[in-house]
Amino acid sequence: MDKSRYPMVEEVVSIGFNREIGKDTFLMGFPCVALTSRAKPGQFLMIQVDRQAKDPLLRRPFSIHGVLDSNRLMILYKVVGKGTALLSALREGDTISAIGPLGNGFTLPGPGERALLVAGGMGIAPLFFLTQVLTRAQNHSVKMFLGFPTSQDVVLIDQLKGLGVDLSLTTEDGSLGIKGLVTDLWDQTLSQESTQKPVTYACGPASMLKEIAQKAIARNLRCYVCLEGYMGCGLGICQGCAAKAAGSKDKPYYYVCQDGPVFSAEMIDWEVM
Amino acid sequence: MGALPELSVDIGGLKIKNPVIAASGTFGYGDELAPFYDPSLLGAIIVKGLSLRPMPGNPPPRIVETPCGLLNAIGLANIGIEAFVGEKLPSLATIKAPIITNIYGHTIEDYAEMARRIEGVKGIAAVEVNISCPNVEQGGMAFGRDPDSAARVADRVVENTTKPVIVKLTPNVTDIGLIAKAVEAAGAQSISVTNTFLGMAVDVATRRPKLANMVGGLSGPAIKPMALYLVHEVVKAVRIPVIGLGGIMDYHDALEFLLVGARAIQVGTANLVNPKAAIEIVNGLTDFCLREKIKDINEIIGALETKGEDHEKKGDRKDKSKANF
Ligand SMILES: Cc1cc2nc3c(=O)[nH]c(=O)nc-3n(C[C@H](O)[C@H](O)[C@H](O)COP(=O)(O)OP(=O)(O)OC[C@H]3O[C@@H](n4cnc5c(N)ncnc54)[C@H](O)[C@@H]3O)c2cc1C
Ligand SMILES: Cc1cc2nc3c(=O)[nH]c(=O)nc-3n(C[C@H](O)[C@H](O)[C@H](O)COP(=O)(O)O)c2cc1C
Ligand code: FES
Repeated sequence: MDKSRYPMVEEVVSIGFNREIGKDTFLMGFPCVALTSRAKPGQFLMIQVDRQAKDPLLRRPFSIHGVLDSNRLMILYKVVGKGTALLSALREGDTISAIGPLGNGFTLPGPGERALLVAGGMGIAPLFFLTQVLTRAQNHSVKMFLGFPTSQDVVLIDQLKGLGVDLSLTTEDGSLGIKGLVTDLWDQTLSQESTQKPVTYACGPASMLKEIAQKAIARNLRCYVCLEGYMGCGLGICQGCAAKAAGSKDKPYYYVCQDGPVFSAEMIDWEVM
Repeated sequence: MGALPELSVDIGGLKIKNPVIAASGTFGYGDELAPFYDPSLLGAIIVKGLSLRPMPGNPPPRIVETPCGLLNAIGLANIGIEAFVGEKLPSLATIKAPIITNIYGHTIEDYAEMARRIEGVKGIAAVEVNISCPNVEQGGMAFGRDPDSAARVADRVVENTTKPVIVKLTPNVTDIGLIAKAVEAAGAQSISVTNTFLGMAVDVATRRPKLANMVGGLSGPAIKPMALYLVHEVVKAVRIPVIGLGGIMDYHDALEFLLVGARAIQVGTANLVNPKAAIEIVNGLTDFCLREKIKDINEIIGALETKGEDHEKKGDRKDKSKANF
């Protein structure tokens, strides 16, 4: 493995804050200089709450959600099971072990290129970091589509507006923003904006990614998706995180933790997703 | 501080500097965890299972966590023996720990051919033979579930290489001692016990198996008591060295296997959770020997106290050592 490409470290970090900012949704921040200086949008961490605990056994993967003051990292997570429930119970000063930064990260748009960011639910986690980087660089036009099931799930609107990003919000039940699916809104925008060819960055549930990827391929547009996979290690040693590669005979599967988690849409076999 | 304890052990034609070995399939092709520590410090490294030709592996989901355990159906995905020898092995030359290849085949001839391919390849110290995979010639039952086919595989590998041959047994049998004896008689220099236990997990909401492959192999702390028992059984059955594994997470777990009679141990699933697990076990064993004034780790191996009266008499000693663990 090319170590310079994956300069991963393990840091035991002391939690700075861990707040519930939406329904079952937590924002956690911790200082960690080594990790922060290496982190790129789209990369992730493998987090372990308790070194001694044998259950849950495996570390859990979380996207790097953003950087604060260049020495703190944030993760944004939803409580869905044992591991995330344990994480949500942690207080300021408690420690966790984090390994990262892992994975490839997003390929940034070229100068002046228009970027469309599509986030479904917790898909906002890595795209917030990308927004931070793109808005700081100032030479991209960025539009973000953000979709949640209901108004109760909506988070981070103020922070995103604070970054100055052009934002469209959808909820499936219409309780906030536009009623409907974030994919439809993105699709409509593409039809209206036929003048230039934007590049799409998407993260969210597999069904959403599939739709976006297939439409982007059909429209011959560049599109990057940030995939999830059930991860045993995050380090490229267990081969658990397989995603079926499109077409390729000599590489039947990609490994999400190493080859991804960001893939160009046409790399993945969406039929089996 | 006293002199460092002697940690080297002989695992049947191969002397290793300490009894801690990285288990196949949980340490990549050998250098993936190098960002965390120098793999040269381990007793040996067993690389990912290799087959004659590249294998794509199973569709996802390939792994699922169960209480204190990991259920996997990776499907032995690998780049194939040719690509390993040609492309991977040269880059492992800087690793000073012996590199052991783990091989598996679908026919007995596959095994023999791989043994031939490895023979003469510098940089491969020994070969571990995985006999847990389905034998296509005999209706798909694993080679390792029948003493005759297990012995035939061992025999053909031994015949085709001068390197030490370790046979890795499957726990999914009724009498593991019988299989162990058969592979010993066929000329294996050592035996590793154990591979994963067959298992399943079901998603009640969707009524589907959680693994795409339906069944998988269970590893991790959940299997440790069963693995320890099997090591005990095999140690009783054979004279060749036994390498113990199954759920070893720390040096304390490692000591349990050594006490039962394992000459060395392997660290598997623990590497996935804590990339430094194996090196921490080496250090933990060193510190333990220093504390307990054990000069040579071989003093521990097989030193299980089993006599009834000792059990009671050693009561106070047990308490004393508990404080040190
Ligand atoms: C690269 C990557 C980045 C991720 N980033 C984030 C993030 O920023 N924020 C966030 O909230 N979540 C993220 N996830 C998903 C997160 O890892 C899982 O939600 C978490 O592992 C669940 O752990 P648990 O113990 O709470 O749930 P479990 O008790 O393990 O499982 C509860 C449910 O979650 C599902 N689940 C478990 N592990 C995963 C997984 N790896 N991927 C998808 N579903 C899973 C299970 O199938 C089950 O239905 C990411 C996953 C990956 C692979
Ligand atoms: C993800 C994974 C992949 C594995 N791949 C192999 C393999 O290729 N060959 C093999 O002989 N054993 C393989 N094993 C089995 C381990 O080497 C080991 O025997 C088993 O996991 C029990 O030890 P543990 O509980 O310490 O993990 C694999 C185990 C896991 C978890
Ligand atoms: S999660 Fe283990 S190889 Fe990707």
